[in-house]
Amino acid sequence: MSRVFVTGIGIISAIGDTATKNREALINKQCGITRLSLFNTKYTGLRPCGEIKVETHELKKKLRAHEKGATRSSVLALHAFEEAVADAALSVKQISSRHTALVGASTVGGMCLTDELYNDANRSENGSEYLSSYDCASVDLYLQLRYSIGGVINTINTACSSSSNAIMYGARLLKSGLAKRVIAGGTDSLAKFTINGFNALHILSPEKCTPFDRDRKGLNLGEAAAFLVLEKEEDIAGKKVYAELTGYGNSNDAFHPSSLSDEGDGPFLCMQRALQKAQLPASAISFINAHGTATENNDFVESQAMIRLFGIPPPFASTKANTGHTLGAAGAVEAVFSVLSLYCQEVYPGVHFSNEIEATGLKPETSYRQLPLQHVMSNSFGFGGNCTSLIFSKV
Amino acid sequence: MYIHHYSCISPQQTFEHAHVETLHESADNKLTAKEPVYKGIPPGILRRMGKAVRMGIGAALPVITQQPAIDGIIIGTANGGMEDCIKFLNQIIDFEEGMLTPGNFVQSTPNAIAAQMGLLSKNKGYNITHVHRGLAFENALLDAMMMIKENPGNNYLLGAVDEISAYNYNIDLLDGCFKKECISNKDLYHSVSEGTIAGEGAAMFLVNDNAENATATVKAVQTIHTTDEMEVNRTMQQFLEQTLSGKQADILLTGENGDARLLKYYWGVESFFGEHTSIARFKHMCGEYATASSVALWLICNNHQWPEHMIKKQGEAAPVRNIIIYNNYRGVQHGFMHIAV
Repeated sequence: MSRVFVTGIGIISAIGDTATKNREALINKQCGITRLSLFNTKYTGLRPCGEIKVETHELKKKLRAHEKGATRSSVLALHAFEEAVADAALSVKQISSRHTALVGASTVGGMCLTDELYNDANRSENGSEYLSSYDCASVDLYLQLRYSIGGVINTINTACSSSSNAIMYGARLLKSGLAKRVIAGGTDSLAKFTINGFNALHILSPEKCTPFDRDRKGLNLGEAAAFLVLEKEEDIAGKKVYAELTGYGNSNDAFHPSSLSDEGDGPFLCMQRALQKAQLPASAISFINAHGTATENNDFVESQAMIRLFGIPPPFASTKANTGHTLGAAGAVEAVFSVLSLYCQEVYPGVHFSNEIEATGLKPETSYRQLPLQHVMSNSFGFGGNCTSLIFSKV
Repeated sequence: MYIHHYSCISPQQTFEHAHVETLHESADNKLTAKEPVYKGIPPGILRRMGKAVRMGIGAALPVITQQPAIDGIIIGTANGGMEDCIKFLNQIIDFEEGMLTPGNFVQSTPNAIAAQMGLLSKNKGYNITHVHRGLAFENALLDAMMMIKENPGNNYLLGAVDEISAYNYNIDLLDGCFKKECISNKDLYHSVSEGTIAGEGAAMFLVNDNAENATATVKAVQTIHTTDEMEVNRTMQQFLEQTLSGKQADILLTGENGDARLLKYYWGVESFFGEHTSIARFKHMCGEYATASSVALWLICNNHQWPEHMIKKQGEAAPVRNIIIYNNYRGVQHGFMHIAV
């Protein structure tokens, strides 16, 4: 089985439109969660979000994305995709090769256009230009067409762990010889659909979210896209290599459609399976980029699962207080952050934290520091009990 | 990869006492699934399930009953619970983002089918949902094949589900996917117009690496994205060379769907098969939907002595051993499978 390395990264989020800008923002404890100013909803002013402050048409202009039917989710994906493939110095020919796979992920897809979707679903003629853009696959079909990518193309939706599973699937394609290189990641943009959905579940915070804090009031939604270029050991000579993807584990909590069990079997099992895949003891993990959504349920259960697996958990923090919860993109966003942590040997602090949860006593990292890191774990847990953990290792 | 148990809810008599000789007819260009009386789903949970989730769980339960010790759940679905999704969307717009109930939102996420299955069977293993539109099932199949290689001895539930909802039917109709004139599925292949008829269903399989008593073997799967029929032909040629290694295919089972725009792809693919090979079709039975190729696989498992209405060309082959499935979704997504029986 070949080893899998990260040779390129690309990201656009509320704290920056490049990996470099995202890193600077994380170091400076910058929070991208603000009052909505571009996205129009009744909840503007009531529910702050990690909004990318660039209009879709401006992004399209910048990327020369003039194809009909390209949605904000697709354009954000294109932005991150282009940065990632340029970073890995992939040629146009390499991208279009039948040995290149694209594994994307999304939960909203083109449904960010909630009003257009409603109109198209209810009218009998003159459909909009977005008729074939509403599903999650539309994003990856758009990227495939733009770059004529010739290998396996896939889209995964396991709610908030979608793009962690995309990265895992990509690594498995490489290891099984079904691809020579994989571009894996995910995208989601803000949508009335998700804002109303999460609000109806009473888990949207009226304030900036406070992961792992005793008095946390719920999550903030965000929008982002991130992609990683994964290549095999034999193909990375002379290339910049950020990290090795050594472990991944997927599990289901099998407890409830929209919350995790108190025991946290799903989170525990995916972390444990990732360690098994990486052939590492729990003590080898230097840092955890936690799922840490700041909901009552997640942060408690994730803490319990970390204690159960690690005894005393390694340093950890959640970057969702910087970016908001970017749903289908979150796994890839945090994979990029984990990879940057390893590459730069530094820990990005959790922001907005004040008091630890009494029952667990766990305190996330709250200040930036340089730290020798060998193995970084990144957690993503989603609705439907879909839990996935990735482990990146220093090269 | 070997298939051991299989189950299907479709517009035909495929669930329990399967009988596909009699063709049930479409209405208003739709082939609606014949849903059974669902046994084994608690009524309170059943009531809250949307159709896609219901069909998926309903088809999966007989498979799980026969092999309770599964190690993971791998589902392909383009849209999951579309009906719930649009119900929630309508609430958002109609009530101007007012007080909404989250039930439809939670049910609408495409991973709800695999998640519900995990929940009902208390399965904490690998759980994933592939949503890559017309290749969602092929990607799920590829995933299962990799899982079995990575984890010898494991059993997986592999399946696909998609539903017709009034809303996605409307959107796809506006997009030119369905015929404007009303036709019967009996005449699907005589139609010369653009578009097809809509379908839905769920097919589930128990797969592992145990050859003993297996119903069918999934030998290979390949996918491409292109609108160029020459590229499709090249891929088919390479696929056949690699997977059949000199043997002849006994049956070609295609996803021909009455859409005049797609005939060039099917003609091109058929040209690789000679007198030996029978050519059969299945979309007049299940209609067109993103994961319809799962029904083709179920038909092979169920019985390859197919009724007259499926046969486009009778070949010389007997007995049947190697079957090739070619499916084309909207002229862009192409799936190739080699199944041995």
